[in-house]
Amino acid sequence: MIAGIILLAISCSCSGNKQKSIELNSEADLSGLTLSTAVGNYYEHKFSKRSDVKVFAAATQADALQAIRQGLADVFVADDIEVPERTLKDLGLKVAFYGEDLFEVAYCVKKGNTELAGQFNTFLASIPVQDIIEHWTKDGPQVPDPNAGQIKNTQPLRCAVCANLDPVCYVGEGGEWMGLTPDLLTRFANYLGRPIEIMLQDLGGALTAVQTGQVDMVGGNIFITEERKTFVDFTDSYYLCHPVFVVADHGKRAHIGIGERFRMNLIKENRWKLITDGFVETIKITVLAILIGTILGMGVCAALRSRRRWVRSAAGLYGSFIQGTPTLVLLLIMFYVVFASSGLSASSVAIITFAFSFASSAGNIFNSSISTVPVGQTEAGLSLGFTPFKTFTGIVLPQALRHGLPLYAGDCVKLLQSTSIVGYIAIQDLTRASDLIRSRTFDALIPLLIITIIYFVLAWLIRKLLNLLLIRK
Amino acid sequence: MISIRHLSKTFHNPDGSVVNVLKDVNCDIDKGEVISIIGPSGTGKSTLLRALNMLEPPTSGQILFDGQDITAKGYRLDALRRRMGMVFQSFNLFDHMTVIENIIYAPIRLLGISDADARAEAMTLLKKVGMSQKADVYPSSLSGGQKQRVAIARSLAMHPDVILFDEPTSALDPTMVGEVLSVIRQLASEGMTMLIVTHEMRFARDVSTRIFFMNEGIIYEDGSAEQIFEHPVRSATKAFVNRIQKLVYEIGSDEFDQLDMHSGINAFCIKYNIADKAAQAISIADDMIQNHMASVRPLTFRLTYTELTSETALDFMVEGMTESPFAAGKFPDAIRAQAKDIIQEPTTRGFRIKILI
Repeated sequence: MIAGIILLAISCSCSGNKQKSIELNSEADLSGLTLSTAVGNYYEHKFSKRSDVKVFAAATQADALQAIRQGLADVFVADDIEVPERTLKDLGLKVAFYGEDLFEVAYCVKKGNTELAGQFNTFLASIPVQDIIEHWTKDGPQVPDPNAGQIKNTQPLRCAVCANLDPVCYVGEGGEWMGLTPDLLTRFANYLGRPIEIMLQDLGGALTAVQTGQVDMVGGNIFITEERKTFVDFTDSYYLCHPVFVVADHGKRAHIGIGERFRMNLIKENRWKLITDGFVETIKITVLAILIGTILGMGVCAALRSRRRWVRSAAGLYGSFIQGTPTLVLLLIMFYVVFASSGLSASSVAIITFAFSFASSAGNIFNSSISTVPVGQTEAGLSLGFTPFKTFTGIVLPQALRHGLPLYAGDCVKLLQSTSIVGYIAIQDLTRASDLIRSRTFDALIPLLIITIIYFVLAWLIRKLLNLLLIRK
Repeated sequence: MISIRHLSKTFHNPDGSVVNVLKDVNCDIDKGEVISIIGPSGTGKSTLLRALNMLEPPTSGQILFDGQDITAKGYRLDALRRRMGMVFQSFNLFDHMTVIENIIYAPIRLLGISDADARAEAMTLLKKVGMSQKADVYPSSLSGGQKQRVAIARSLAMHPDVILFDEPTSALDPTMVGEVLSVIRQLASEGMTMLIVTHEMRFARDVSTRIFFMNEGIIYEDGSAEQIFEHPVRSATKAFVNRIQKLVYEIGSDEFDQLDMHSGINAFCIKYNIADKAAQAISIADDMIQNHMASVRPLTFRLTYTELTSETALDFMVEGMTESPFAAGKFPDAIRAQAKDIIQEPTTRGFRIKILI
């Protein structure tokens, strides 16, 4: 069955090129066309206001670019720096025209952190910025960093990047961050003599994180706007940016075989390592959340069965709060509000959040499973001379398990699946690994297919393992 | 062995009402006694039994077991319960264990008996209750009577000093009551100390060394089986032990629902464990109503059953008449041949024909 789905998916992804031949010279010519861009950026905002242009807002810039190849959109718009000549050539696209808007690109720091901004501005003035930009965008020569290798053992410079596209910011061989934005940040950290930590976040999340102090700087082709200035401070601009409008360039698309696609997505630049690292992260969060959540769930169950009315009400309220809130919202609240200034790692926050969420549903499952065992079973155990504890563990629990185990296993699998949202708080799990690969290879099928199979096998393993552990007969 | 002093139990219902199920219970129970606890429903029979092993802790009063107050704080209830077996109305076998596992589970864990010894003894007990063929099946495949016999064996496996039976036959099909009662009878003959809450009057009279008649939350009358059933002192006791179960039909015209009466008689006979008499009762009732007393309307027909004497009778009452509807009191031979006895007598309300079957 799986093989069938794979074949179907491959054949689908190879067909369906229905691009029209378009002559475009200015933004006025966009009338009646579909424009693709990354969700939440300036262009989505701007062109959504034009009633004659349909905007296709994709989750990432890579997906937005891909939309042109898939025929989902006619024109792609992004910052000029984001689509260098080599990307266009690889994908069979061409520049239609450059927009007239002009933006100043800079880094953000926490409002009032003039010290860090000042240090950056001094640093910026001391380096050949233009050469570094040429290196990344036009394959210019490498610019040496005089401060490299001088990292001292001090507080790391924590940076969020909110772009995931060559050459602005992308994951290269061995999983390290590459591109203009990380390069400048690394040089700056070296200049300060501090180690660097880089995490990928969406723009909204990153700007929140810099306000709460979870990160020190945010970069990734961020425009200086008056609105943003009201809640964050900007460094000096290091680049002036035009919008670029991109369309399909017919007859220039190379066909890539399926073997080559696997090689590109897995072998090249050791991209399989992103998958295995993400796999470990996903497993870590899932297993720890299940373990902690199960223990908490026993507490929830005990509270639901308490003789005190207020304890029962409190447990019920907890359950309805958790179940009434989308897990993603809960995760964002925990990360950006509750634990914002605690210094806990994103992984820890994710584990705590999923454990809390799991505790509620596991507690309810335990409670209802125990309720299915008639009270007469307890009375029979007691009347034979067992203590209440031994009656519970020896007689009630085995019968409750039979009823509750399939439900419990189902919830464990549900937890595994819901961990795929941790990318929102900059954790590189399995799902995020496929995003990173996709943004480099512009191939959606292979990475998604691989992680789908991994999730499927993991879910199967969880059920198998629980059956082995808990049912002896 | 057991002394109960001023025991009371009050239940607080969720709706706020308060029920005093047990008001002031006092009694002494000696080793070897077989005590049946009888009485109308809702008078605290089961509550008293469940208080004895503290499944239902009393509100006030004392229960002394071999001189020790088991209601005292810190008393080891698990140790007490090992010596005090209990058989429930709803059997409460452990559904996830086979019959033999049900029996050996507690002795192995609580008495330290080896698995092999426990199994050997369990087989002896199963043989005793006639269930040795079913040792390895799960309770779900057993009938109610079989489950209850296994439950009795499970309780015996702990070698208790006393067994409490909480309405052991009330949840059973009438056809299965006998097999369970005969196991309890056998235990009584072996000298086991037992307290039995029951509605089976004949059984209680036959098996008990002593009867507690409970009423209004107290032991209303306490005495030997003969004393309670033959010569009760108090009027409520008398009324209870002599109570007659009745099924009444008013036959006004010939359009009366005969099939409804048939199923009514069947249900009645099953309920009071006299199913063997149902067919005869229906045939006599039909014959009398349609043939021999076809001209007598209105007619009141009653089927009665006296539990204590297990007397079954069909009553035909003709309002306002003072003489037998049959010429010179001559009764149809077909009916007379089927009856144990026929009584024809005038009453204050009319003339009555009573056919005992």
